[in-house]
Amino acid sequence: MKTFEENWTAWIDGQLTGKELAEFEASLPDLSAARLEKQEARQLGSLLRQELSTQGMTNEEFFSHQLREEIARDSRATTPQSTPAPARESWWSIGRVVWTGAASLAVLALTTFFMMRDDNAGGQSAYLTQIINARITDPAASPDATITPFESKDGKATVLWVDGLQSLPSEYAAK
Amino acid sequence: MRRRLLSASVALLLTLSMAAAQAADSVWSGLVMATNAPEPTPIPAELNRFESTLKQLFGYNQYQVIGQSRNTLTKGEEDWRASSKYFALQVNSKPAASAAYRLNLQLFQQDKLLLETDADLSKKKPLVIRGPQVGQGQLVLLVVME
Repeated sequence: MKTFEENWTAWIDGQLTGKELAEFEASLPDLSAARLEKQEARQLGSLLRQELSTQGMTNEEFFSHQLREEIARDSRATTPQSTPAPARESWWSIGRVVWTGAASLAVLALTTFFMMRDDNAGGQSAYLTQIINARITDPAASPDATITPFESKDGKATVLWVDGLQSLPSEYAAK
Repeated sequence: MRRRLLSASVALLLTLSMAAAQAADSVWSGLVMATNAPEPTPIPAELNRFESTLKQLFGYNQYQVIGQSRNTLTKGEEDWRASSKYFALQVNSKPAASAAYRLNLQLFQQDKLLLETDADLSKKKPLVIRGPQVGQGQLVLLVVME
């Protein structure tokens, strides 16, 4: 035995026929109002079906869609399965940092050693240019000769200024 | 690859360090005539970086090298001579515990010793010695560590 709601839904959907249809319509208190309501319900239903249905594709769109799907499937099939790349780890591991530091210290030590050894070898350095002593070897020939050491005004040379040496003729300028 | 690169770099550094440490110094000694000329000749390349100092010291406008010598100091004890026709600069380098090359310099006029001096020479400054007046010019001795 169907309830009234079930019969009402079936009547609106047009699924009642024959004796069932006659009995149900006879049970309605106002058949004309019910038929008006049925008509509105069916209009609403058709409107909803029309608006909420998925947009259909045109032939061109459908063909294009199918083509893209096919290409994608082929690509997946032909591409070899590559193993995921391992995470890139830094080259500067602790061990390498230690070894690099040790190598740098060794280079520094060797450089210092050779530089210092070289410095001591010939008494050479880049410190100072200075006059230790100076003398006129024949004072009798140049009795008024004087010797004055000094730094040039621009500080670029150490000068031994010898004054009063015997003058010589210009031919002594020959190469 | 990077390990090889590191090894090569260390080897290169070592080589360069040793080469630099073993590089010997070179000393240029020159007899220079300073004169005034109406049209002075360009200063020789050896004196180029000392031009302003020489002009400031002596006031001449022309400097010509009349004798020169360039020697490499490898052992710290070397002898050499820069000569012109009438002058000679005898240089004897001696090992020294001081901070520079210790040089003994002797200026000869032909066979006659005019002047003798001991000096420490460094790379920072040359040694300039004012010699005798020659004609209207001046004999200048220059010793430069290069």
